[in-house]
Amino acid sequence: MNPSRAAARAWEGQGFFGRTLRLLGSIEDALLVILLATMIGLAAWQIVARNLMDTAIIWGDPLLRVLVLWVGFLGAVAAARDDRQINVDVLSRFVDEPWRSRIRVLTDLFTAAVSAFLAWQAFRFVKDAWAYEEMAFSSVPMWLTASVLPLAFGLLAMRYILLTGFHLRRGFGGKAGE
Amino acid sequence: MIFTGLLLLAVALLGAPLFAVIAAGAVFAFGRADIDQIAVVMEIYRIADTPVLLAIPLFTFAGFILGESRAPNRLVRLSDALLGWMPGGLAVIALVTCALFTAFTGASGVTIVAMGALLYPALRDAGYRENFSLGLVTTSGSLGLLFAPSLPLILYGIVAEVSVDRLFIAGILPGSLMVLALGLWSFREGRFLQKSAAARPAFSAREALAAVRAAIWEIPLPIIVLGGVYSGFFAVSEAAAVTVIYVLIVEMLIYREIPFKRLPGVMRESMVLVGGILVILGASLASTNAMIDAQVPTKLFDFVTAHVSSKLSFLILLNVFLLGLGTMLDVFSALIIVVPLLLPLAAGYGIEPIHLGMIFLANMQIGYCTPPVGMNLFIASYRFDKPIVTLYRATLPWLLILFACVLVITYWPWLSMVLVR
Repeated sequence: MNPSRAAARAWEGQGFFGRTLRLLGSIEDALLVILLATMIGLAAWQIVARNLMDTAIIWGDPLLRVLVLWVGFLGAVAAARDDRQINVDVLSRFVDEPWRSRIRVLTDLFTAAVSAFLAWQAFRFVKDAWAYEEMAFSSVPMWLTASVLPLAFGLLAMRYILLTGFHLRRGFGGKAGE
Repeated sequence: MIFTGLLLLAVALLGAPLFAVIAAGAVFAFGRADIDQIAVVMEIYRIADTPVLLAIPLFTFAGFILGESRAPNRLVRLSDALLGWMPGGLAVIALVTCALFTAFTGASGVTIVAMGALLYPALRDAGYRENFSLGLVTTSGSLGLLFAPSLPLILYGIVAEVSVDRLFIAGILPGSLMVLALGLWSFREGRFLQKSAAARPAFSAREALAAVRAAIWEIPLPIIVLGGVYSGFFAVSEAAAVTVIYVLIVEMLIYREIPFKRLPGVMRESMVLVGGILVILGASLASTNAMIDAQVPTKLFDFVTAHVSSKLSFLILLNVFLLGLGTMLDVFSALIIVVPLLLPLAAGYGIEPIHLGMIFLANMQIGYCTPPVGMNLFIASYRFDKPIVTLYRATLPWLLILFACVLVITYWPWLSMVLVR
């Protein structure tokens, strides 16, 4: 995992901008870890309660399902930060720099555009849930449980815009990306 | 529509993340059908309505913890003490331990990195040929795919809407067939080896006892998971939660091999894999729905049934298609994208969903080791510092054996179905 962390540093850049990005990354990671820990704790508690005390938290199971969504999408954001999204990895094995980076400009831009579009649709989804006061479970509103979607797609869009810039410099800009 | 499809295929082949390609497909399809594209997000949100999905982050995390600990060493020592005396014993140990380890870590390459590092030098020291040893550790990296609680097995259950418990049971015989076939091959190599050199240790009750004692906390793990699920005592996601808690207690409090400050890092690493899979699953929920709206499965069904007359020829085509697919896509994305289309087709030819799952995963397992993109080849090439071409040659006999197993699994449904009937 160290090479990927190092790669992440390279495209995040230096200075104030880079520091802000890394701070954001740490917050994402912290949230991911806290939510996963909550998920494990709650899942374990439900089993103990169900088998030993014959009760379980009523909203426990729906909350667990929402946590899967959150952990999954924060994980996807972390995967983008490490530049480890699942893809068909044929071309990069046969193409060398600078063409590899030049092709990446194209695919990064595509991914950023799709993510941004989904972030917008997800924002509309959350806004509708707010307007109609929809409930996810018990008294938890759905706009809250669904808010991870605009958040994650927004972050994905941002990461891929940054990756586009990085590969632009590396593919066309001479020594900038070395 | 065809033009958009080809364009997206091109973007995918250029290496764009699959979630973006699939989501873009869904966006275009909904747009063409004049459906508000907010539907894409509504479909993605369905991830929060799928109870079994909870098993995926939990089992993955447990697998990563096991990979970080010294559990692989204890597992190898234990199998060595129990099986090391027989011809080809070490190779058989390698197969069995890799299959077990892969089942728990989800065929994510962890097996080659964690087990291969132990087994490859051991095999070479015992006098096994280089190519034999390399082929073994490379192909074994995905050997446990059909055994519970492997991630692809759970994912197939979710995508195909088949009970995961039944899949766990169905995988036992086909998975064992693969281990057995490769075991026989190793046995043959071991006898050949006997003539040259390498003395095998005699069975030692004392060492066996010591090895059992060393691994005493990990031995109950498969029993808890499999016993719990098979007996119906636990639901799959409950078994996953129990596994995580058990593994955390054993590796962190009893063996104390993973310091607490390492834990957040392992959590993040494991969730990178889970996130990569879930975001594709989410996008694919939307694209599958869009395809159903556009009646793609029905059209595909009509087309195929018009050209393929018998079940046998369909199965042959299915094998060819899946082997090709496996060379391009990893098992997770292949499963999420293709299974919704294959299910109605297979049903039309009288192939049961559980049997289809076994066929699918068995084919994909071979895909892990075939050029040009077989993941196991690259991980092994990196890990053992060997040229990729050497690995092509080394894995070839192993792949041929696995291929024979795939044919048996495909054309003999009894093997997959007898335990679940």
